[in-house]
Amino acid sequence: MDLVLQLLATGLVVGSLYALCSLGWGLIYGTTLHFHVAHGAVFALAAYYAYVGQKLLHLPLPVAVAAAVLAAAATGLLIDLLVYQQLEKRGAFRTSIFISSLGLLIVLENVLAIVFTPDPMRMDIGALGTAVIIGPVFLTYLHILTVALAVAGYAVLAAFLKWSRWGQAIRAVSSSPEMARTVGINLGKVHLLTYAIGSAISAPAGILVAMDVGAEPFRGTRFVLLASVGVIMGGIGSIPGAMLGGLFLGLLENLGIWKLPSEWQSAISFGVFLVFILVRPRGFFGRTIHSAEI
Amino acid sequence: MMKRLSVLFPLIALVMAAPAGAQQPPIKIGAILPLTGSGASYGVWMKGGAEMAAEEINAAGGIGGRKLEVIYEDHAADASKAVNGMRRLVEVEKIPFTLTSYSAPTLAIQPIGAQNKVVMMNGGGQSDNLANKEYLYNNIPVVSNEVGVIADWLSKEKKFKAAVVIVANDEAGRNAAKTFREKFTADGGRVLAEEQVALDGNDFRAQLAKLKAAGGDLLFISSYGRNVAVIADQARELGITLPMAATSWVLIPEVFKSKGAEGMLVTRLPFNPDSPFARKFKEKYKTDAGFFAVQYYSGTKIFARAAEEAMKKGGGKLDGEGVKNAIESLKAFDTISGKLVFQPNHAAVMDIEVGVLKGGKVEVEKTLKANP
Repeated sequence: MDLVLQLLATGLVVGSLYALCSLGWGLIYGTTLHFHVAHGAVFALAAYYAYVGQKLLHLPLPVAVAAAVLAAAATGLLIDLLVYQQLEKRGAFRTSIFISSLGLLIVLENVLAIVFTPDPMRMDIGALGTAVIIGPVFLTYLHILTVALAVAGYAVLAAFLKWSRWGQAIRAVSSSPEMARTVGINLGKVHLLTYAIGSAISAPAGILVAMDVGAEPFRGTRFVLLASVGVIMGGIGSIPGAMLGGLFLGLLENLGIWKLPSEWQSAISFGVFLVFILVRPRGFFGRTIHSAEI
Repeated sequence: MMKRLSVLFPLIALVMAAPAGAQQPPIKIGAILPLTGSGASYGVWMKGGAEMAAEEINAAGGIGGRKLEVIYEDHAADASKAVNGMRRLVEVEKIPFTLTSYSAPTLAIQPIGAQNKVVMMNGGGQSDNLANKEYLYNNIPVVSNEVGVIADWLSKEKKFKAAVVIVANDEAGRNAAKTFREKFTADGGRVLAEEQVALDGNDFRAQLAKLKAAGGDLLFISSYGRNVAVIADQARELGITLPMAATSWVLIPEVFKSKGAEGMLVTRLPFNPDSPFARKFKEKYKTDAGFFAVQYYSGTKIFARAAEEAMKKGGGKLDGEGVKNAIESLKAFDTISGKLVFQPNHAAVMDIEVGVLKGGKVEVEKTLKANP
């Protein structure tokens, strides 16, 4: 029983990281329909921004992290402004956007590897790394912070989308771009905002992983893959769905090895995803998917 | 035409062998090493050792009057990268010899070496499958020797009865774990659980949680590279208080710095941190030397000795086959860590020390003889 509780706790922490990625990626995909795999590079860059802030510029940790989140938001915005919007102006199809995004991911990851080496860059996190013992469960303060941030990130995003003017504009574009344009919403601006917010929501995940085990250039690919799986499981266009999808994947990955050997960890996640998507292609809360969107 | 050419060859060889002051082309050899990735720390040592040896050889006039040039390739623990590097070395650089490292990458390049008659000298990889391979020589004992020694020591002298094992999911990790299980069980111990982890992973909490639930009185770490430090730290973080044990693979700076690894029971292959070599290494590279620095220093020196012999026998001609024959006929080589004798299985035998990791140093308890 102790093992189950420990796996549950670890799964919740990992799931929170996936959830933050899914929230950001899902917001962007749901609104722009860009299959933005370069989100993985934003995730990795966020970690290096924080690392550079703390270790090279000697900023205090909270300042470095806050600056890194803002820088990540700017990175996401610039990717849309300088790459995707330029392509769209020239009438590019969604596939071209996806391929350019993939290219961007590979280039940015390799630049990071050249500049910082492929080895993990460790950050100093002081007392955050101390173990906390809750009954039979061992976690660190950083892990508890991770879960708290995922919940906070979800709440802030949901509130923003529901009550703010710009949030409502994003939702309008998400449900029907043509209708949104007709009522006078500037699609370009909404896309930029979506990229900034989506990147800012996922950036903490990259930074938290870096604080836990070090910043690495190629980690984003795996996270963006899982984020997209989380979003599709949760239902495209659904914010609660993205949150739930991410958490579900983290829990599945960890609880799955309760009775199975651990080398099956990835196979379990993707196996369940495959079955799930065949049985319920809309995901937990999704609107009906048109074949063109997948 | 062929006949004419065959008359020409010895002539060409004669011209090449003439020491007549003319600038001769350097002898190029390869070195396929983990220069990046989880084992980059080994790479620093291996490259440094080979570099130091090459500099010394060249300062003393080279090999048969020719300078030695080492060409480095990075395998980053990946067998396919090692194969690419080896192909480049064989086809572009036309090397007769290469230093190699790690079990899976070395097993992957061995057929290429054997086919093209290129001698491979492995001073790092320790999988048992590296023994008895054509054109491949290991100036290091295979792991069954080392794991056998520590398994015996742990069960017979330290009285551990029930081990849980965390295994790097690759050739070296699995091979060491298999030997550990066999020896530890043969000595009357039990292996309660075994969990595999990715060599380049960095979150092992789920696997460690499973091992914790299995109980036992010892955690054996059958892995290497910096992930050992992460495993040790995360194990302590999860409240695993079991003593840990591992082989000499874990003696790298990352593990020395890890708080979780303090008190780990380890083996060590002969290495004297106060030797002139270690002092010179530290002076040159501003970092402490390790066992693998000596290994690749020795590997390069072994090549120089064998190449000299091959050129003497072959009338100045140097190729992989000649180097191989020279190694086979010489068998024993003087190295800075003593006389090294290649066994019939193409591997070396060394004394194995056992001890405790304390404050970044190994406190040696005793030195044990390994069975070849």
